[in-house]
Amino acid sequence: MAENVIKIRNVKKVYRMGQEKISAVNNISLNIAYGEICCLLGKSGSGKSTLLNLIAGLEKPTKGSIIFNKCHIERMNEDQLAKFRQQYVGFVFQSYNLLSTLTALENVTLPLIFRKVPVAERNKKAMQMLEAVGLSERANHKPSEMSGGQQQRVSIARAFINSPQVVFADEPTGNLDTKTTYEMMDLITTLAEKNKQTLVIVTHDLEIAEYANRIIHISDGKIEKIEQNTNRKRATIEGGSKK
Amino acid sequence: MSTSDMIKMALRNLWKRKLRTFLTILGVVIGTASIVVMVSIGIGMNESFQQQVEEWGSLQVINVSTAGGGMVSSVSDSGSSKDKKQATEITVSTIEEFKKIPGVETATPVMSEYLYFICGKYMADASVKGIDPSSMEAMGYKVEQGRGLEEGDNNTLVFGADVVTGFYNPKLSWEMRYNSPSPEVDVLNDKVMITTDWNYGTRNADKNVKPIKVDVVGILPSSGETGYSVFMPIKALEKIKQDQQEYEEKKSETKNTNKVKKGVYQNAMVKVQSMEEVQSVQDTIKAMGFQAYSLTDELETMKETTKMLRMMLGAIGAISLIVAAIGITNTMVMAIYERTREIGVMKVIGASLSDIKKLFLTEAAFIGFVGGFVGIIVSLGSSKIVNIIAINTNSNMLSSIPLWLCGASLIFATFIGIAAGYLPAKRAMKLSALSAIKTE
Repeated sequence: MAENVIKIRNVKKVYRMGQEKISAVNNISLNIAYGEICCLLGKSGSGKSTLLNLIAGLEKPTKGSIIFNKCHIERMNEDQLAKFRQQYVGFVFQSYNLLSTLTALENVTLPLIFRKVPVAERNKKAMQMLEAVGLSERANHKPSEMSGGQQQRVSIARAFINSPQVVFADEPTGNLDTKTTYEMMDLITTLAEKNKQTLVIVTHDLEIAEYANRIIHISDGKIEKIEQNTNRKRATIEGGSKK
Repeated sequence: MSTSDMIKMALRNLWKRKLRTFLTILGVVIGTASIVVMVSIGIGMNESFQQQVEEWGSLQVINVSTAGGGMVSSVSDSGSSKDKKQATEITVSTIEEFKKIPGVETATPVMSEYLYFICGKYMADASVKGIDPSSMEAMGYKVEQGRGLEEGDNNTLVFGADVVTGFYNPKLSWEMRYNSPSPEVDVLNDKVMITTDWNYGTRNADKNVKPIKVDVVGILPSSGETGYSVFMPIKALEKIKQDQQEYEEKKSETKNTNKVKKGVYQNAMVKVQSMEEVQSVQDTIKAMGFQAYSLTDELETMKETTKMLRMMLGAIGAISLIVAAIGITNTMVMAIYERTREIGVMKVIGASLSDIKKLFLTEAAFIGFVGGFVGIIVSLGSSKIVNIIAINTNSNMLSSIPLWLCGASLIFATFIGIAAGYLPAKRAMKLSALSAIKTE
């Protein structure tokens, strides 16, 4: 068995809603291995997104520990978390979250800008990434001049440019049509596999879960079952690029 | 995040909301311009005071008198003034001591005597100031015609222009003198004589007082204090005074106890190299037991009286800048509300807290800087207009913008921008990455 990149131990997250306490994540323990494509599957309100936020250090657990490469994420302060995200983590969001004032190329270079990578080097890398997602000719377009699918491609390029150990994708295809959804999933899994990166996908869509090696069913903040997906869906488009 | 990336991104964010950025900058422009113009009027006022005071004489000259206030009296060294040395006379060695004070350019003893001048059938009178002839130019007395007093001059005079026009015919009655035009007298070329007898030329004239022939070598301009003065080498004046006193003693057969002693004076003038040193030199002279007074004192008093007015002008300007600062804060707070999501995204993909804070501070600083820069240009224009109006209305509310004021206001406006942007930037920094990306 491959070594684990993320170890989740008895994690609990309780929200207060007035007088009521709601356990969004209830005592979950889980290991995620290096290079694994793992899917957190569940209905809306099941706690899957909260779990992802906890793993990525966007929220602090009420109880339990999350260990990333031997580092306790729940003990890190804001600055340490910023460094941690800069170095180890990439994000793909449902609503793309590109910066509207920046071009596609600049959006992709953003993580490198925060790492103070020189202009020439980061632009070269970003162009390579845009080529990999099939958008090199739209490098100088603003997000508002691109379709949803194209924006999500830029967002994927941005998530992978740092060569992070783990890429988190929260409902990455939620805003896309069926055809584009498959294209996106092909692209994202191909890129992760190619660079042996760990991919954590959060979705409610079983079809998307099919792309993962392992499907973790979550319901009411608990792991319902863990399913090994031996017959996983593979990229239908060569190299993940659009024809 | 590198500085150049930070500036690029800040400019782009500001450019995206052009109208709002423009309006906020406009606020700073008005604020800066009003503070600069108000302060410049204050500076202009001080400058016009200085000019006015300089017309009365050089600001770098300190007038020194003995503790007796110029009167020859023995000041007792008793009572309350025991601990304070009181000098009663100025001698050649005192002048040498003055010259040794750091910052002093030159010094001269001064004595004055009211004398009468004769030129043909006309007469004039004026207070004659005896000074060391070599120091005349250094003391700031510049002749309009001819030359000033020089080393080696003896019975030589330099006339103030108003004394020249003040010649009258002593034979005429006061009324006729007043009504007749002033006679044409060429003191530089005609024979001029000097006398101590104020009845000269009239029936009551004292025949025993012989006028002394003198050379008039120069004429001082009519403006300020010099117009009504006549300058003469101190040694020559001293001689005239001594002769007069001796003659009067003989005439009245009494001893004058207050007789002028040769080489002992009651007044002196000290020229200081720069205006900044005037105060310290003045203090040193006072510590030596003399009374010292300079026009700088006068200027300070004038400045002091208008301080309140200048402060009020500054405050009016400051209020507009405070309003502009609130405008910047408002703009930045609005920007944070609008960009909550963007801030969250930046945090999630690796922006550090200081990156976020610096980005917002850069935007605010830029608004301040550009507003300050344009504000200075506007105030340079307004200053010209104020001056045109002031000259036309003969007011002394002149505006003057020195270079330091431009620099200071640019730095100040930028600082105001940063200060106004600080709280919003801190707020942006504290936004949780998660709640930021959840905002739809």
